[in-house]
Amino acid sequence: MADFTKDTPLKAVQVEALVVMKIIKHSQQTFPTVATGSLVGLDNNGTLEITNCFPFPTIDVPAADSHQHDTAANLAAAAPRAKANVAYQNEMIKFMREVNVDANNVGWYTSANMGNFVNLNTIENQFFYQKEMNERTVALVHDVSRSSQGSLSLRAYRLSPAFMIAYKENKFTTESLQKSGLRYQDILVELPLTIHNSHLTTSLLHQLPSEPPKEALSFPPNLAALLQDPNTPQPPLFPNYDSLDLSIDPFLEKTCDLLLESIENHHTELNNHQYYQRSLAREQAKITAWQQKRKAENAARAASKQPLLPEDEWQRLFKLPQEPSRLETLLNSRQVEQYARQVDGFTASVSTKMFAVKSNLLPGGE
Amino acid sequence: MADKDSFLHLARPLGPAPVGAQPSTAPLTVTIQPQAIFSILDHSLRRPADQDRVIGTLLGTRSEDGTEIEIRNCYAVPHTETAEQVEVDMDYQKQMLALHLRANPREVLVGWYATSSELNTFSALIQNFYGQQGDGTWPHPAVHLTVSTVPGEPIDSRTYISAPVGVTAERAADSCLFIPVPHELKYGEAERSGLELISSAKDREDRSQGIITDLESLERAIQHVLDMLERVTKYVNDVLDEEAEPSSALGQFLLNALSLAPKVDAADIERDFNAHIQDVLVVSYLSNTIRTQIDLSNRLATAALTLGSSDALAEGGAQREGGGDRQKGGDRRGKGRQQRAQEA
Repeated sequence: MADFTKDTPLKAVQVEALVVMKIIKHSQQTFPTVATGSLVGLDNNGTLEITNCFPFPTIDVPAADSHQHDTAANLAAAAPRAKANVAYQNEMIKFMREVNVDANNVGWYTSANMGNFVNLNTIENQFFYQKEMNERTVALVHDVSRSSQGSLSLRAYRLSPAFMIAYKENKFTTESLQKSGLRYQDILVELPLTIHNSHLTTSLLHQLPSEPPKEALSFPPNLAALLQDPNTPQPPLFPNYDSLDLSIDPFLEKTCDLLLESIENHHTELNNHQYYQRSLAREQAKITAWQQKRKAENAARAASKQPLLPEDEWQRLFKLPQEPSRLETLLNSRQVEQYARQVDGFTASVSTKMFAVKSNLLPGGE
Repeated sequence: MADKDSFLHLARPLGPAPVGAQPSTAPLTVTIQPQAIFSILDHSLRRPADQDRVIGTLLGTRSEDGTEIEIRNCYAVPHTETAEQVEVDMDYQKQMLALHLRANPREVLVGWYATSSELNTFSALIQNFYGQQGDGTWPHPAVHLTVSTVPGEPIDSRTYISAPVGVTAERAADSCLFIPVPHELKYGEAERSGLELISSAKDREDRSQGIITDLESLERAIQHVLDMLERVTKYVNDVLDEEAEPSSALGQFLLNALSLAPKVDAADIERDFNAHIQDVLVVSYLSNTIRTQIDLSNRLATAALTLGSSDALAEGGAQREGGGDRQKGGDRRGKGRQQRAQEA
């Protein structure tokens, strides 16, 4: 990557249609397991142009029992930073260079299910990319479940510089968070994403069915002929009538489940912290008691003209408990925020649809 | 794209069949997934300036009897072509295939593509290379897909399989009979949303499009449906006014569509509607409440009064306790809500 572009921060991400299709296909194939892959492209003056991508190899774990299934999922999620895959990626990029593909690694992609991507795996992968590979890399997140509901959900994220520093030092104590002012909203930075088509793709798309023909067609002789008529326009690609689909309960149920899970996690973290606070307080009380005892002893010794005992010995005698990392809480909070926004978006469109359906079924009702 | 083509199907064995086995004579059908076409177009754009066409390998799945082929993926293979000879980087092809198989073990080699509609001697040579025993697709025939990418003309795609011709062994090696087979471009449910967005950019000058929100796409879809309803209404009115030519088939079709409207009691609709809208709103409200709670809890955790000094510790503990209690409250409510969602 050229040095002169280092100064301009990444402002936007532009994704080729090819990449969108490839990611969708890969994510769909492996669903509900997480799919991950690598992105290649160019950094063009602050706009990251993603022009191609390829999936990471799947690790075949015989899915004998549920436990092993979990490990397979974990392996897939951790694939971008696995050593074997780095080699795979380099080899693939080397081959792609031979056929004039932009051979720069610019990040990685992952699939998600209802926005459940804010977790340690994602953070570690992106950290790995931003630290080891190249600062100017992004993570593309494709949400399979949400895309099936209508409009495509594809987002580009990076880790904020503040979080990078904190993660590098691996310090997520209350004190360090207070000092750096890092909030959970600041972990991930979302970049605006646009889709870009090549001229040939545009040409192809104009050949695919879209608008119903404007001119009058000849009349079909009977109903069967109408149903089989090749001129009957296919439902257009755009706008997508899937977004008119009125299914509410599966979405709500799933989101509630995920929210509950997050709350449970949050609760566990809070309990850990409380435990830490209590044990810290207990230790502190012990130390204070010891200090007072030592002081009294020294006072007695001073009175009897004996040499004083050292007063800082408590540092050796007592060990303060380690504060648990707040990273998990931060991520969890970010995840909850993600869910809440998702629900907001869903409510907006679904209530519109519901009112439409109601007034359609009850004409003149209101 | 090519689904309006009609073909004469010849009942002939699909490629060389092993001796003794009953060869299948069913026609071969090829389905192509859009990402393969997109990839081919991308490769065509990136071809070296002095080359008219580029080639690559097609990957996909084949049904058990070999009569249905789905082209799912492809990759470019470098090759040079002069008036006298053609050179394909076979090493590259082999290594790339191995790399692809590692990521996608189910997608096997099914054939090759070229970005020009022309079929010539070199096509036959390459076709024989892809269909050969060992590294090739043998005993199944190799599929050859041509996608024309002439600027200013529609993109035309064709698929072929081949049969050996030639009287001597040397002639047979560099010639073959290409037989066109029908193919269609198919996209799955999952790809729809992606294609929607991609095709929404097709009429724009800059050929790009930002991600649209759910609400926007809903608005456009509704607008579109309204336009179409308008058109149908106008036609029906014209027929009633005896201005347009009536058609009994269209009338039947419209009647069938109208009879799909459910007949439900108004009170039932009212009840269902209220139950559902309440669910939606309650979940929305609660999720936002939870978000606020979590935000609050985070702020309290890093607030100045819990600074790590020993004096403030007791106080900090109390604060934390409070946060925990609130959280439990949220949890309880969450469970109640979930039940409600399941009842609905």
